[in-house]
Amino acid sequence: MDLTPSEQDRLLLFTAGQLAQTRLTRGLKLNKPEAIALISNAVVEAARAGATHSQAIEAGQSSIKHSDLMPGIAPLLTGIAIEAVFDDGRRLVVINFPQSEISEDEYAGQVIRLENFQSSSTAKISKVRVKNESNIAISVTSHMHFLEINPKLKFNRELAYGMRANIPSGTHVDFPPNQIIEVELIPIQGDRILIGFAGIVDGALDAPGMREKAMQRIIEFGYLTGEPS
Amino acid sequence: MTPEELRIAQEDISVHGARVGDFVRLGDTQLVIRVEGDDRQFGSELQMGFGKSARDGMGLKSVTTAESCDLVITNALLIDAIQGIKVTSIGIRNGRISAIGRAGNPDTMDDIDVVVGSGTVLIPGEGLIVTAGGIDTHVHALSPRVCDAALSSGVTTIIAQEFGPFWGVGVSSEWALKHGHEMFSAWPLNVGILGRASASTTSPLEEALAGGVCGFKIHEDTSAHPRTIDTALTFADQHDVAVALHTDGLNEMQDVIGTLSAIDGRAVHAFHVEGCGGGHAPDVLRLAGRENILASSTNPTLAYGINAADEHVAMIISAHGMNSDLPSDVALAKQRVRNATMAAENRLHDLGVIPVTSSDALGMGRADDTWRKTFAMASMFADQAVLDGSVAASQVATSNERVLRHIAKITTNPALVHGLSHEVGSVQVGLMADLVLWKYADFASKPNMVIKFGIPAWGVSGDPGATVNDAQPLVIGPQFGAYGVTAADLGVQFTNSSAALTLSRRKCVPVKNTRTVRSSHMVRHGVLGEVQVSPSGETVTFNGQPITSQPISQATLTRRFLI
Repeated sequence: MDLTPSEQDRLLLFTAGQLAQTRLTRGLKLNKPEAIALISNAVVEAARAGATHSQAIEAGQSSIKHSDLMPGIAPLLTGIAIEAVFDDGRRLVVINFPQSEISEDEYAGQVIRLENFQSSSTAKISKVRVKNESNIAISVTSHMHFLEINPKLKFNRELAYGMRANIPSGTHVDFPPNQIIEVELIPIQGDRILIGFAGIVDGALDAPGMREKAMQRIIEFGYLTGEPS
Repeated sequence: MTPEELRIAQEDISVHGARVGDFVRLGDTQLVIRVEGDDRQFGSELQMGFGKSARDGMGLKSVTTAESCDLVITNALLIDAIQGIKVTSIGIRNGRISAIGRAGNPDTMDDIDVVVGSGTVLIPGEGLIVTAGGIDTHVHALSPRVCDAALSSGVTTIIAQEFGPFWGVGVSSEWALKHGHEMFSAWPLNVGILGRASASTTSPLEEALAGGVCGFKIHEDTSAHPRTIDTALTFADQHDVAVALHTDGLNEMQDVIGTLSAIDGRAVHAFHVEGCGGGHAPDVLRLAGRENILASSTNPTLAYGINAADEHVAMIISAHGMNSDLPSDVALAKQRVRNATMAAENRLHDLGVIPVTSSDALGMGRADDTWRKTFAMASMFADQAVLDGSVAASQVATSNERVLRHIAKITTNPALVHGLSHEVGSVQVGLMADLVLWKYADFASKPNMVIKFGIPAWGVSGDPGATVNDAQPLVIGPQFGAYGVTAADLGVQFTNSSAALTLSRRKCVPVKNTRTVRSSHMVRHGVLGEVQVSPSGETVTFNGQPITSQPISQATLTRRFLI
């Protein structure tokens, strides 16, 4: 057989899946590892029988019903990743269930939030209108120094010195080609030292003469600036 | 909340995990904790990945790891007996915790405690709980696989009494101990070995001390008589090592009061103080609640269940060299099994009287069950408090104090009892970065990652040939830190300050302050009082009040998670 480590793992999946199936047939409700094994096994076997990727996902999803599970297990069955051998090669399948099918009032690890957070920041917000004058989409993230973003974005860069987009951390603003998007900016925090980026500042934002030097570089390097139209 | 607000909440929880004020259910228990604090700045969280804030010049500062840290665990929900319950980040440098608090780049973010460098590696902790590694002070290392089981449950320090399928309850041979220390270097674990102190003269103890034991074990199977107790404690006082005591279940030479008199006010760690695991029948539990007796439980009697008594007779016979064909052996074993003391033991834990839980692995306990049983027990009281109305519902809803008390039993307190707290037991700057990451749903049941001395050393991995690292079947086992000579470097051998022991690779660290430690030093415990057990073993009182708990038919953290 010359089984590889991955193939040996497939056998572990098969054993666990069969065990789960046997227990289910005996009328037992499945727990977390049993349910995951049953679903994973269904995906692997569907692929073996010639299913396409989307058919294998369907096989995984339909392999189990909410009523087959112990209380509180369904919400834990998210993002189950399995690599199955399809006719066109090994493929990654990730199984999720619609939220409506897995929701329960009480489950392991649940987070209960009574009210959403509001930013209590008193940072001064300014607004800029930005136009993407290139022919490809550009995205700008939360902690990027807004002054130094792509030279082909046209906006009043005077307003962007020492500023970043006022969006949740780790998110971004999309600038499709030839559209004008309005963005809120807030001052960069901390010690306000910018090292790196496009090399426009590369030092303390609030050092004497730094703003003038940076704005001069913006012009020299050919960044588009000024109100877009 | 409106459906739209609910959607925003779910999205935020999915990205950032719990925030301050949120309630989190630990595993499938009835323990619902409230997040007390959050070191992040809302809107400026350090986030790892494509298009996220943890990039050079933004959330990362372009400095060396010496000026930042080697590894950062970002924005995890810390549960620590000393630090409390809050979302925070932990910086690790050279294997030790170097900073705790808000992580990021102080150049662009306010109030950064953990400077994250452009070369720092990151473990995103959102949606994960982080705790100190568990400390199991009662391990019969009869099989090397006990180390795998311990690590797979979130235990990073063990106090072992053997290293092989031989009857040890303490090893004394200096030659054998040298090999014992070397063998344990194969695992990313801190290990201390107990020498045998069931001896009436000090020469066997001197030999063990030179062999680098971190303490001694007195066991009734090899003698727990007054002379051995006094010999061991006198010797321990001279050399600053702990003494673990399994008392005389036969009451052959003395009863529990006689043992207390032999101990004579000195510090001693009373193993399985309930008595099922061994000790004065029927009333060894009277040792609990005293200032100089550091009492612990072993895990089969915890989360006192309807089958607890039934499993124990056979367990005692099997573990203690007895024979089920001998009626006198069976009678002795049965004397050790009492529902009333088990029920009382569990309640004494909830009250903060018994400060430590441990396994008794392969010697009447389960190496990989101490986290699970400790928190299943905590959950049982959260549940029973509701049932009997003894605690207001609002207090039950936030089980913080109960959770912190119970985590102390498996982290800070065993560290104090065995003189390890200068190295391990809590998440604090300067201590070894022995940390366990748990998914909220799997807390105390199955760890996601075990970080040993700052390196991922054990935890969940998947199909090794897959495109991603989380393809089924996911299994818990060694990570890179468990391989090569690194495994030896990631753990220490806890020894004593007298031994001149050098190992091939692993560092030896003497235990300290083992002789001055007292019950009142136990974190979130230290409740003292008089435990009485009736001669029939059928009723237990604490300070004159009857004390008991109801056996549970369903333990949490178990059926939903174990195949």
